[in-house]
Amino acid sequence: MSAEVLKYTREQVDALEVAPGFKHENLEGWIPELAGEEDVRQALEKAFDYRGDVTLTLKSGERIEAYIFNRLSGASLKDSYVQYFTPKAAEKRKVSYAEIARVEFTGKDRAAGKHWEDWVKAYNEKKAAGEKNIALVPDKLD
Amino acid sequence: MAIPISQVWTVATYVWKQRVKGNKRYPLVLMLEPLFRCNLACAGCGKVQYPPHILKKQLTPEECFAAVEESGVPMVSIPGGEPLLHPQIVKIVNGLVARKKYIYLCTNALELKRRLPEFTPSKYLTFSVHLDGQRDHHDFSVCREGGWDIAVEGIKEAVKRGFRVTPNSTFFDGVDPNSVRAYFDEVMAMGVEGIVLSPGYSYDKAPDQNHFMGRAKVRRLFRGILSNRKKSWKFNMSPLFLEFLMGDRDYECTPWGSPAYSIFGWQKPCYLLQDGYTETYKELIETTKWEEYGVASGNPKCANCMVSCGYEPTAVVDGFLSLKGFWGMVKGNFSSYKNLHAMKVLNDFKPEGHVPLVQIAGTARVMEETNA
Repeated sequence: MSAEVLKYTREQVDALEVAPGFKHENLEGWIPELAGEEDVRQALEKAFDYRGDVTLTLKSGERIEAYIFNRLSGASLKDSYVQYFTPKAAEKRKVSYAEIARVEFTGKDRAAGKHWEDWVKAYNEKKAAGEKNIALVPDKLD
Repeated sequence: MAIPISQVWTVATYVWKQRVKGNKRYPLVLMLEPLFRCNLACAGCGKVQYPPHILKKQLTPEECFAAVEESGVPMVSIPGGEPLLHPQIVKIVNGLVARKKYIYLCTNALELKRRLPEFTPSKYLTFSVHLDGQRDHHDFSVCREGGWDIAVEGIKEAVKRGFRVTPNSTFFDGVDPNSVRAYFDEVMAMGVEGIVLSPGYSYDKAPDQNHFMGRAKVRRLFRGILSNRKKSWKFNMSPLFLEFLMGDRDYECTPWGSPAYSIFGWQKPCYLLQDGYTETYKELIETTKWEEYGVASGNPKCANCMVSCGYEPTAVVDGFLSLKGFWGMVKGNFSSYKNLHAMKVLNDFKPEGHVPLVQIAGTARVMEETNA
């Protein structure tokens, strides 16, 4: 938890009627500018939180399509790394922050859309049209 | 309490041994997620929103066994994703049964009836079937008409074949407490061992961000639901945890009590929050900044959480390691939690309007404070 995050007191927590939801950040297609060390750290923190693939361009020129599932932020960029899976390799991989030149949020954001209101609307429309066995279905894997 | 004595004894002796060894942080239930793929797209779930290549990945049986051995837990919960979509789930379950681990295989039961012949009934194996209330409410909650009927067919077949079955319900804002109590009657009549329930957690990746209850509302709702219990109702949970939900007990979260292991590794800090991963269980315990999590920390991500994976371990440890807790557990097993005010509130409660399915947004209303 970062220090700047608003903290609740115990009294506030116990009095909560409705838990505030989280505002979804629209990152799909974003290419952050990596001018300095803090930019790199922030971009990779967002990439870690992103539920889609990103494309990393290394300083060597290599481009990696990756789902970043972990990050460790150390004292320097060299000591910091992200862990990721690629679509084609079975094993986990890692790369140091210091090797990364560019981050592109290229993959579809899987946590975007499909809100409850969309489901209610779709349900009511389909029901009115006489449809049966109405359902939201998971995205296809291929 | 519906939990078999052998399981209670196994957990109790495990907790006592940890105390004797001086272990401060130890797990009770491993949340083993062998895959994230699912055949439902529930609006309140934040577990399955991943790119296809991640959803196609899965743990091998050997990886599952290694995680169980490494953590040393007496109980394993297998959520996901939908575990029955894992091609080697039978091998995983049989391997854990052979290791004498008590398993809760969490399933939406869409595939349960078809797959049952592949499993062997055992005191170590329980099918924990996702059922979020009565038919209409469940179908709307899992965003699939007909889901309840399929799940119930699976439950009945599993009971008939001699399996342990516990319906597992998550409740969100707007749920009708009378409907929940009627649901308890329905599932107990199906012959299930006991009911498992929990308030929903506000996953930041869940498609629906508007219907997570705060703690005050959770306590009122569960006081209404769980007071004045019928003798036929059994709960496959610690009575102390249920008292916590009703607002009778004040517990802190035990996030290390239900550690989660998946294709990514050991999840920091708990099953619900994703703040990174470690390669080993030891590393998880030693490197997680535990003081940054739980209600006492003020962390907004923990603010509304009263979920079983964090608070039931607290209740279990309290029940087995303190005389007061033990006595509370004994009393809780025999009490109906009579509460006239809660009964009046239930009787006065009327859902607003008639809808073809229970629309969680449409029926939201504030229950009167029942803790008079």
